[in-house]
Amino acid sequence: MPWEELVSTALVGADRRAVPPESLLERAAEQVVRMRAGRRPGRGRPPAPAAAETMPLVPGAAADRLARMLAGEQGRLLTEWLETAAARRVRVPAEMIPGLLDLGARDRSIRACLGAVTGVRGRWLAGLNPAWAYLLAEPAHVPPDEVWELGTSGDRRAFLAALRRRDPAAARELLDRGWSAETPEDRAVFVTILADGLGMADEPFLEAALDDRRREVRQAAADILTRLPRSRLALRMTARARRLVTGNGSRLRAEPPPHCDDAMERDGVRARPPAGMETRGWWLQQVVAHTPLSFWPDHLGMPPDEIAAARIGDWQREVRMGWTRAAILQRDATWARALFEAEPLTDLLAVLPPEERSRRAAELVAGHPVDGQMVMMLGGVPRPWGQRLARAVLNKIVETTRTQPWNAGELIRLAGERFDPAMHEYAGEVPELAATLRFRFEMLKELE
Amino acid sequence: MRRWGQAATRNAGDAEAGGARAGAGAGIGAGGRVAARRTQAEQRESRVAVGLSELERWLADQIGQGIAQARQSAPAEWDDLARRLVDAQAPGAAGTVTRLTRVLGAEDWPGLLLGEYALLRLLAVAHRRAAALPEPLRQTVRARVGYPVTRESVLATPAVRDHWDVVGCRDEEQDRLVARRVWLAGRTTGRLAMVLSFSPVGQPLESFPPPGATIDADLAFYPGASPLRALLAERRGLVDAGPPPGTKVSQVPALIAEVLAADPWSDSWPLVLDGAVACLDGLADDEGNALPLHPSAGVPWRLLAVSGGRPVTVAAEWTPRGLLPLTVWNEDGGAVRL
Repeated sequence: MPWEELVSTALVGADRRAVPPESLLERAAEQVVRMRAGRRPGRGRPPAPAAAETMPLVPGAAADRLARMLAGEQGRLLTEWLETAAARRVRVPAEMIPGLLDLGARDRSIRACLGAVTGVRGRWLAGLNPAWAYLLAEPAHVPPDEVWELGTSGDRRAFLAALRRRDPAAARELLDRGWSAETPEDRAVFVTILADGLGMADEPFLEAALDDRRREVRQAAADILTRLPRSRLALRMTARARRLVTGNGSRLRAEPPPHCDDAMERDGVRARPPAGMETRGWWLQQVVAHTPLSFWPDHLGMPPDEIAAARIGDWQREVRMGWTRAAILQRDATWARALFEAEPLTDLLAVLPPEERSRRAAELVAGHPVDGQMVMMLGGVPRPWGQRLARAVLNKIVETTRTQPWNAGELIRLAGERFDPAMHEYAGEVPELAATLRFRFEMLKELE
Repeated sequence: MRRWGQAATRNAGDAEAGGARAGAGAGIGAGGRVAARRTQAEQRESRVAVGLSELERWLADQIGQGIAQARQSAPAEWDDLARRLVDAQAPGAAGTVTRLTRVLGAEDWPGLLLGEYALLRLLAVAHRRAAALPEPLRQTVRARVGYPVTRESVLATPAVRDHWDVVGCRDEEQDRLVARRVWLAGRTTGRLAMVLSFSPVGQPLESFPPPGATIDADLAFYPGASPLRALLAERRGLVDAGPPPGTKVSQVPALIAEVLAADPWSDSWPLVLDGAVACLDGLADDEGNALPLHPSAGVPWRLLAVSGGRPVTVAAEWTPRGLLPLTVWNEDGGAVRL
């Protein structure tokens, strides 16, 4: 009796087919052992071999620590490990790549680092698993010349960025030649790459990009053009802003545009407001945000600090938000300083030079109790925090631990991630903080 | 060579379920103890015989009526049956019955279940006719049924000294115990071994060199027709030896046929494969011969990552349903647990 027939008989019952169950079991035993023993190898489909690695492996101690972190120890510091390894141009052991790529599938913020530290093998694996395909859009290190024609989109982005740093005109011309054949996603990223080494020579190309089919591309081009006060977009925006915000002595007046026409939309003004925002106010905010900041002092007859502090009546919130956004887009420290005095928004700190950023944050910390707003403000200050800010935060932690220990936890965790780890010797009063800083101190030493 | 261990260390709890705890009561003389032990052994033999003949009848009933409803009704019956087999002092057979639930999730469960039932009956029949079996096979049958074997009797047999590569290690929780299996492969003898140790959940297991290590040690094997389980009789030291030598993918079927010819109930055997390329669903050699992985293994991403489409040395546990990868050696000769 063939195996299939034994199985079907067992299913319906041997009694029904008048087969003695014992003899069926006996034959089945014989066949099952014969099948197990006689199984021949099948045909395998081995994947094509991965190319050789070009970067060195991380030191063993660093790899061991990474394994512990992936298992949960000080998991919040994983990003710093990855960033440091990426900057040092080392790669992780192959067996750790799948776990890291799973993390990257959930957490976009680490993808750029993963592109660097997972090396050739990471890309090879990403080609086998659709859940990891995102990695192919991240730049690896040192793309060779032929990458522009043949590479993955991540490699091509890295190549263009490197060329842009070397020779801004060559990068723009290379982009211009094949522009219509690029995917919309690539076009949007390529435009942002032009922000590096930006000059009026790029203006015609970017102005043309305002007619792109994809909104992300148009938006990116408009954002960058605001940094060129003599660009056609900047002049058009200035003309709109001139009518909308006017000065009368020390008082300012704002009037939102009555409608959002095609020309405004082409210049990057989005017609539909985000939820909860008044439509015309939204248009006003975007016009102000895309107007060169250098226009305002002459137009309003005051310096930036007075403008930032001036009262504007009904549309004050929208206009201030517009200036804030403009200060960030145009990376204008003078305006950021003036606006921060009026209202300490975290985003503005990013525009200030590191030393000043640290000082201003320190002043805020010293003068305020610990609350959600302070933690959020500090969250916007990237590591490593300078001596001054670190000392202010440490004092605040010690003070809060004594009076309101339940409020200190988040600040301690943030401090652990952002302090210069060499400060671990001075943090003895806060054991949890000292432990995290010591962990980072050793972690960074291992990666040297 | 480094010294790292003590000679003849004892494993923590050697949890043979229902193990030999035949201690003698106080006040009975030596002769009385021997007699008492013999009576106890005879009692056990007859209890087991009764339990297994009941198992035979139960299996015949199942096949007679048909197993189409097994997915719904069988698990409860298996629980009951396993309990009765434990009462009959046949814990090995009981364990096999308990593990039957594993096949129900598979698409081809009717065939798998028939195979398991058939092998269980084969075991019961073999036990019934044990007297007619060659001694090693008789020992295999007794071990599978669940007769205890004392450590002393195992350690009393001649030990096998070799440089043993630790090729795999797996911990599994069962009944509030963690069972640790360490698989070893002998460099000179070519023998394979599995050392089993237990510890209560939450307590550390006895330390053992990790996969990738090579130890100079004497192993004492449990009796059987295809001996695999062993005790570490003497640890002599660690050896620096590099990745273990392996067999080719194409040689595996013959090897497994030999194991099954000696012990048809064998459902686990360690393999060290040399020149194997990891695929999404198996291990292949350079001629395209491939051994499938066990369905529960999923896509072996870590193994794939280390192999990178190139031949590597891999240790895996053979099971009738496919391989379970244990360890892979990377291009620098380092062992990676899977």
